[in-house]
Order: sequence, then structure tokens, then C-alpha cells
Amino acid sequence: MGLCKQSIFRCLFGCLFIFSIMAAPVQAGTLTFYASGEDLATEGFQAPRLTKDGWALTFSHIFVTLTDITAYQTDPPYDPNQGGPIPGKTQATLPGVHTLDLVMSAQEDDRVLVGAVMDAPAGHYNALSWKMTRATEGILAGYSMVLTGTAEKEGETVPFQLYSEEERTYRCGEYVGDERKGLLAEQGEADLEITFHLDHIFGRADKPADDPMNTEAPGFAPFTNGDGKQTLTLHGLHIGHAGEGHCNVEWH
Amino acid sequence: MALKRSLYQHIRQVVPLRQRLTFGGLLLLIALANGLSLSLPVPLLAHGALLKYTHTAAITVQAVYDTGQSMTGAQITVYAPDNPARPWLTGISDAEGRFSFVPDPDLPGTWSVRARHAGHGAMVHIPINPEQPEHSLRKQGYTAGQRALMAASVVWGCIGTALYFSRRRTS
Repeated sequence: MGLCKQSIFRCLFGCLFIFSIMAAPVQAGTLTFYASGEDLATEGFQAPRLTKDGWALTFSHIFVTLTDITAYQTDPPYDPNQGGPIPGKTQATLPGVHTLDLVMSAQEDDRVLVGAVMDAPAGHYNALSWKMTRATEGILAGYSMVLTGTAEKEGETVPFQLYSEEERTYRCGEYVGDERKGLLAEQGEADLEITFHLDHIFGRADKPADDPMNTEAPGFAPFTNGDGKQTLTLHGLHIGHAGEGHCNVEWH
Repeated sequence: MALKRSLYQHIRQVVPLRQRLTFGGLLLLIALANGLSLSLPVPLLAHGALLKYTHTAAITVQAVYDTGQSMTGAQITVYAPDNPARPWLTGISDAEGRFSFVPDPDLPGTWSVRARHAGHGAMVHIPINPEQPEHSLRKQGYTAGQRALMAASVVWGCIGTALYFSRRRTS
């Protein structure tokens, strides 16, 4: 009789084990996050793509510090023009604070690897948010974005160091680019991109002067008077994108 | 040409002259029906134009900048719900940034339209027949590992049951 009880107990234990495995979510894949300042960061503002006031820029470093990087599966899709929190039921968050150099760390495709979530639920990640936060260590401590390099115009060369301490959160809809991103199949791989449009700071000489981007961008002229540390104010400028897709910005 | 010549020679041999005149007209019809070209004079028809219409439920999107300016000549890409990674249709917006298309009614769900122009882009998502179940990236059913585990558990259960009853009979 004891042997019977032991067999039944083993059967029950085995069934429980099997059901626990079957009930476990297995639809997961790897979601990789990249950041990019595009070719304007790696190649600079060179003719004909000079700044709106005619300066050629070459960047030695562009440091950004990011945190709270989260991808969402939203239905209905998130509309950044409406703003507000992203109501995604399924999320994949990359933990930690990440300070990146968009120039020196860039790959051939101008992207910088931020990190990956290895067990992200499968589905379409059609929204993305991240926070620009102040770095806490080293010479970047206290700043969320730092740009250094040299500017040239009509034989004049001006070194620059632009520091921004502004913290803000970008909330974007789906990535817009050559291909759709964020489509993560079961046990597959997908990626998303945090994109910084530097021409929203410096403008573009190859675009009309009355282009909204040029009318809003300060250009480089305000930074020509000194080679020391200068303050860069980004408030009101939309430099954060998901590819070409615009994002909602919450300034802190 | 060789085929045409041999055909005429055959006709001359087997068909009398009077009947040949009548037969020529029939041959012309047969030749036209079979795609053969003959050097006989035929009346030319004017190029007729025919315009038909079908009543469909089309969707028109309009791409504009946030200033309200039309996105003229924008690259438009339409994605169907069954394959969000592959473009279903591509085109160019008109002078007012408009682009129209007729979605396939057999593909219910959310249709996505992307517009890109000069480094700017946007997407819009259009639900069509939302009461219909939408396709998903998630696979339905069980994975191969789960199926193997289920089969193994069934076999293991059968063996265990058999052993259990065989033990009772022995005792």
C-alpha cells in the first residue's frame, strides 16, 4: 500500500512539473537598443551640409547619458503628438544608466550599442521612451549631453565644448526609417534606435532658411566667442527621435 | 512565312479556284484567331478607349509637417496586417501630400502607412474591421519542446499505470 501511495505521489509531482513547464511563457526573444547621432555626428557638418550660418563642424565627442530605456507594445499605437504616458501592457526595459559617445563608439552604420534585453516578450515594439539624465561620475558629472569639436568658417577655426545639464524624457511612437523595427518574433532578435538629430541644434545650410527646423535651431553663431566650456540650452528643440519619427518631450 | 507558303500550296492542290475565294475569308479568320499574320488587306479599327469603374472603400492619407505644410512627393509605404515587415504597397504623395489606396478586405486588422520626406517621417495606423481577429507575431499552439514533453509525459503515464497494476496483481 505504501508503494502505491508513493507511485501516486510521484505521478502527481510529475504532472505538476509538466504543467508548470507548459504554463511558463516561452515567447521571448532578444531586443537590442542602439543610439545614433547619424552621419552628422560621425562625419560632422561638411559642405554642402554646413550649419545654417555656414560653419563646418567636426565633432571629437558627443556624450549622452540615458536611463529608463523602455520599449512598449501598444494597441492602439502611441501617438507622440498627443503626448502623455505610453500605455503599453507589454514592456521591455533596459536597466541602468548608460553614458555613450556617439562619435568614438559608433559602428560603421553610425550606431552605438546601448544594450539588450535577452528575455523580451515577442511582439511588435511600436513605442519607445528614454530619459536624458545627468551623469554622476567623471568629467561629465552633472551633464546630460556634451559636444566637443572644432568649427571652421572662412579660414577661422573655433574649438568648442558645449555642455547641457537639462534632463528630459522622450516618448516616441514607432521607429520610422528604411525598414520597420521592433518586430520581435518568438526566440528571435529585433532592435530599436534612439536617434539624435543634431541639425535641430545647428540647422542646415542646404535647407531653406524658412524651414521650421532652421527657424528654431540656434545654429553655431552663439558659440563662436569662446573656446572654454559653454552652456548649451536644448529646451524647445526636438533633437530626440525614433529614426525619423518625432517624439514627445517632457522637460524635468 | 514557310508555314504560310506551304498552307497556300496545300489549298491550291485540294480546293478548286471558285471555292478558294470563299475559303480565303475563312482562312483569314482562322489565321487571326491563331495569331498568324497574313498579307491580305484588312480593315483597320480605331483605338477604342474603355473606362470601367468599381465602387470600393478607399483610404486617403495626407502627409503634412507639423507647421501644416503639405509633404509633397513623400515616399509612402503601406503595410498590411498579415505581414508588418514587408511593404504591401509603395507610392508617392501628390502636391497636397495625399495618397489613396484600397486595402484588401480579406486582410482585416491594423493597416500601417508610413510617409518619409527629406529626413522627416511619420506613421499612421488604420484599424479596418477591428471586430475581426488580428494577426499576431505570436505563434499559436505549442513549441516543439513542449510537444515532445507532452508526448513523453503520455508515454511515461502509460508505463507508470501499467507498472502500478502489474504490481498489484503480483502482491
